[in-house]
Amino acid sequence: MTLTSTFSLDWLFAALIIFIGAYCMVLTRNLIKQLIGLEIISKGVMIAIISSGAMSGNTNLAQAIIITVILVEAVIVATGLALLVKGYRLNENIDVKKLDNLRG
Amino acid sequence: MTTELLSYSIIPLLAALAIPFFGRRSFKLTEILSNVTLLAGLGNLMFIIFNPSNKLHNYETFSFDGFTILMLFTIYLVALSIVFFSTFFKVGDFNKNAFYPLIMISVSAMSSMVLSVDFFSLYIFMEALAVTSFALIACEEKKSGIEAAIKYLLLTFPASALILIGLAIMLFANGSLYFDISMQNASPAVFSALAFIVLGFAIKAGLFPFHFWTPDAYQGAPATVSAYLAGIVTKVSGMYAIIKICTLLKVMGPASFKISSPLMLIGVATLIFGSIAALAQKDFKRMLAFSSISQMGYIVAGAATLNPIGILGAILHLFNHATFKTSLFLNSAAIEKSAGTTNMKKLSGLEKNMPVTSWTSVIAIFSTAGLPPLSGFWSKLLIILALWVAAPKPYAILALIFSIVTLAYFMLLQKNVFFGKPKEELKEVKEASVYMLIPVIVMCLIIVVSGIFFPFVFEFFEKTL
Repeated sequence: MTLTSTFSLDWLFAALIIFIGAYCMVLTRNLIKQLIGLEIISKGVMIAIISSGAMSGNTNLAQAIIITVILVEAVIVATGLALLVKGYRLNENIDVKKLDNLRG
Repeated sequence: MTTELLSYSIIPLLAALAIPFFGRRSFKLTEILSNVTLLAGLGNLMFIIFNPSNKLHNYETFSFDGFTILMLFTIYLVALSIVFFSTFFKVGDFNKNAFYPLIMISVSAMSSMVLSVDFFSLYIFMEALAVTSFALIACEEKKSGIEAAIKYLLLTFPASALILIGLAIMLFANGSLYFDISMQNASPAVFSALAFIVLGFAIKAGLFPFHFWTPDAYQGAPATVSAYLAGIVTKVSGMYAIIKICTLLKVMGPASFKISSPLMLIGVATLIFGSIAALAQKDFKRMLAFSSISQMGYIVAGAATLNPIGILGAILHLFNHATFKTSLFLNSAAIEKSAGTTNMKKLSGLEKNMPVTSWTSVIAIFSTAGLPPLSGFWSKLLIILALWVAAPKPYAILALIFSIVTLAYFMLLQKNVFFGKPKEELKEVKEASVYMLIPVIVMCLIIVVSGIFFPFVFEFFEKTL
């Protein structure tokens, strides 16, 4: 199987976006920014899926998958934001480094 | 999806929808409804498994494998014992109208995961399971629960991203996402896809380099929820997929060892790390969490041998782990309720006041460590045999040695918590109520019976797997 040039460009782009998201997660201590980083990662993953669907001539399947993944992601992000709000009410901050009460 | 077993995932979902409406009238109805739903499912499954006519026909009428049916049985068993226990475990101020539907939805998600036949539905139901787990961990108004849930979210979301990358590669390398890929002449891209997927599920299962979230999640969650998480949720959401992929790799020829040998290394590292970290813990629940990590190491090492005996050992150890770890976590919940703490330095000599809890813990501990008549011995024996046959010899020896370390840290736990002289402030501690002891006693009976009648269990899997 030979890789067409657009396909490899797509994957380079996807990898770049995933890296940006990971960088965002590593760099910040703010929980909301970490959630944004996670979102960016999953956007990169979606580009990977759609481009591989186009590559293998399976666009319909890839589109169906993408739509379902968007749905799943919305659910997860909603749950995550709800957790952040609840955590903010109890702890009064959204700093990752302050999440260290659990120790053996 | 295996359609004939679909009702096991749909009926809990319907119950989850119905419970909040009944809950407006009275809490009693929600409790009865959730117990009855799970009990009915368990009864049905037991009818399928123990039906003598199936045995007579050598299980030829089965259109599903023994692994699926065993996982369904385990899910319903653990969920039923957790629900029954929490009906009588009145601690904390969480909303029961939210708790029972969440348990039901996660039972449904786990059953669907077990019944799915392609990677994408596996992923979808894993995410559904993860969302219910976040909510279950955080269902108490406590700082620790929220912290555990946020850690679980942030550290397992990258796992989903990895699994999706694996799916993307699988899509262009293989064209479809079904499990029955044309395995005989699989291209290297298929292997890299499987490697990404395995890595994602390894994070979900809490294997060694990715274990950070596991102890925190188990310690921070409410007592019954941590039993549920450790008993079945993380096992199905991570370990089930890894074992499934190992059964796929088994037929892919020698090239599959490129995935399975690093996986085996991860497994052995996990069992070593988990045992050593468990020795140093001061908290009952946290020690159980590290012990759970170590047992996951055994399961992965067994499955990654790609040997029929190793995979059978891994499957049986998954079931045994569900029984003994659930009973230990439920005992820790009973202790938390009676004595008010799970810190091992503050506990001592509870044996006199809580004899049943103490002796059920002893049975579960002996099964974890692998003492002969109990069920844990057989699965560990199969795993170590498979490691001896199909892996470098030091792996089998290390697995054997760290099985003794398991006994060591659990004896430390038993000595600190149950034996010795009771402290002054613990003299008034009472035994948990009879109803709270029933699930634990049933689990211990299963451990003993499936250990003693192991030849029948083995025969069942020999014919159906």
